[in-house]
Amino acid sequence: MILAGAGLVALVAVLGIGVALGSVAIAPLDTLAIVTHRLFGIDLGRTWSVSAETIVWDLRVPRVLTSLVVGTALAVAGATFQGLLRNPLADPYVLGTASGAALGAAIAVLLPVRFVILGFGLLQGLAFVGALVSIYTVYRLSRIGGLSPLTSLLLTGYAVGSLLAAGLAMAMYLSGAALRQIFSYLMGGFDTASWPQLAGTLPLVLIGCLLIMVRARSLNGLLLGEETAAHLGIDVSRERAILLSLASLVTAAAVAVSGLIGFVGLVVPHVVRLIVGPNARLVLPLSALGGAVLLAFADVIARSVGDIPVGIVTALIGAPFFIVLLRRARTGYEL
Amino acid sequence: MSAAPPVPPRRSHVFPSQRLPRSTPSGVRLTALLVVLMLFLVACTSTVGSVAPTVAPPTSTSSPSAASSPTPSSTPTPVFPTTLTDDESTAVAIQREPRTIVSLTPATTEILFALGLGDRITGKGQDVFLYPPQAGSIPDVATFDSVDVEKIVALAPDVVFAGGNFFTPPDAIAKLRDLGLTVVVLYAPSVDAVYKDIELIGQVAGRTTQADAMVGRIRTEFANVKAAVAGLPTPRVFYELDATGAIYGPADKSFLAEMIRLAGGIPITTGSTDKYDISVERLIEQDPEVILMADAPFGVTAEQVAARPGWKVMTAVKNGEIRPIDDQTVTRPGPRLYRGLALLARTIHPEASIPSAQPIPPVP
Repeated sequence: MILAGAGLVALVAVLGIGVALGSVAIAPLDTLAIVTHRLFGIDLGRTWSVSAETIVWDLRVPRVLTSLVVGTALAVAGATFQGLLRNPLADPYVLGTASGAALGAAIAVLLPVRFVILGFGLLQGLAFVGALVSIYTVYRLSRIGGLSPLTSLLLTGYAVGSLLAAGLAMAMYLSGAALRQIFSYLMGGFDTASWPQLAGTLPLVLIGCLLIMVRARSLNGLLLGEETAAHLGIDVSRERAILLSLASLVTAAAVAVSGLIGFVGLVVPHVVRLIVGPNARLVLPLSALGGAVLLAFADVIARSVGDIPVGIVTALIGAPFFIVLLRRARTGYEL
Repeated sequence: MSAAPPVPPRRSHVFPSQRLPRSTPSGVRLTALLVVLMLFLVACTSTVGSVAPTVAPPTSTSSPSAASSPTPSSTPTPVFPTTLTDDESTAVAIQREPRTIVSLTPATTEILFALGLGDRITGKGQDVFLYPPQAGSIPDVATFDSVDVEKIVALAPDVVFAGGNFFTPPDAIAKLRDLGLTVVVLYAPSVDAVYKDIELIGQVAGRTTQADAMVGRIRTEFANVKAAVAGLPTPRVFYELDATGAIYGPADKSFLAEMIRLAGGIPITTGSTDKYDISVERLIEQDPEVILMADAPFGVTAEQVAARPGWKVMTAVKNGEIRPIDDQTVTRPGPRLYRGLALLARTIHPEASIPSAQPIPPVP
């Protein structure tokens, strides 16, 4: 409870800092006035310029909110994949999602078509489709062989991911002047965040995460092993397929808007488990909160040191913090 | 480290940047999609850099219209509002003469200064060579790899000039337009396209006369250089942009290849219109008679070039025809272009007398 409270306080704090800070200095009172004006229609005296309003309301607020949504998505998807695959190194991208999304984005950059509908361009569309198609392919292929389902899933994911990565490398080699755009997608970031984009992403992530959390019991059961889970009355293959689809959907929605941001999905669930133990009922919501705060905070830092890719910051803050936690863990840590 | 070729023309497609209004009722969605498709098809059939000004009918009926002026040589008064087509075939409406301008490419900044509009630039794209020096006091709102949208919005410029063919990230252009800013995208893959761009900037900024005069001046100086190199031998020239990893040179049909040809040389190109690196084998086979080192400012010397494995068989290396060149003057598609051509001609033909023209001074 205390942890959740602290998390919520941090969430509000990062929301405030994220909206107040940017490359253009806007008085904190003006920022507050703009937000209350747009949110509640209350006018506290119009002292700000039109451009300040655009900066705060159309650039910063959607950006901070998008980073929160993407952080939530990655952390919940990461916790789900780790539990499903019973593998501590699993993250949202482990089954080829990242390569699929990146290849989709690269193809979008190379196609001579440009349009934007409701904040989503071809790049976001193809990244989303690429992520889903790749994970569907992995899932179908993994069910053919005679290996145990988990091993087969992981190895097929690796193989398909490598294949797609080769395609991506080829696309990058052929891309000429467009290379920079593909590269910036691979590094991840929230430059394109906007209200329509947020409106498209938020429902997918929110519904996906809630449906996963409803199935926390299945996830707990699967963690104990297939046989035990079956004895607990869980339809193992059905639950696995559902959780896999939900986690993939949430991941695809996240990577479509933000590009590939590493580390959040891998480390946040581990940090949460180190603190509260392995119960998915706690791990999932706290991961959601932790992922949101970490990514939004990382984006604030990334913006304030000259718009560097946010993935660099998540790893820079996250890795040392994770190592400290690992060293201080008194009891043996398992998934 | 030398950057990618500054003016890399790579494809003949045109990217339509037209977009739909944000909220379309679901019934209209399909129609909207069809419109997008049609716009795309239309855009594909038009050519890059087409400048088609369509002057809106004047709103007031009382004043005698400038268009009815009988003498064609008289100064045409810029008429606003007007709608112009930029280099990515986007129709851009200019409501009135821009008072504040953001210029995201160094070449556009130079052109604006030469048109006497330097004091209207409130934000610029970073220029490592900082030309003209007066531009130094203008704050940077974009670097080579990122655009600070927030800063541009804060400046609230009347018009933003951006670079096409991915020079300014397409995402950033879309975002600026989404926020209601007027963005004109410029991209010149040839000398003629540079003329068109200067004229387009003149039309957008209400300086058509000065822009036409500038283009006339550049054309004259180009003709002078052409006359000076006429009849001279035409050596095979390799213009080395970078050779720290792969060897980078001009692509086929590129701006740079065109400049070398105009300067009285035969350009050795990469063999493809969208490939910028050239293999040593191809280079040996093409056998350059002159090697120009655009990477000389980054510490590359003729000795280093000659010592590279395999290069000693090239005629240029045998005869010691390896010379440094100031790449910025040659490749920047702005008012100094004829100085670049003269420099190129002089470096390819050191023995010939090439007229040296005075620069178009930046108007204070």
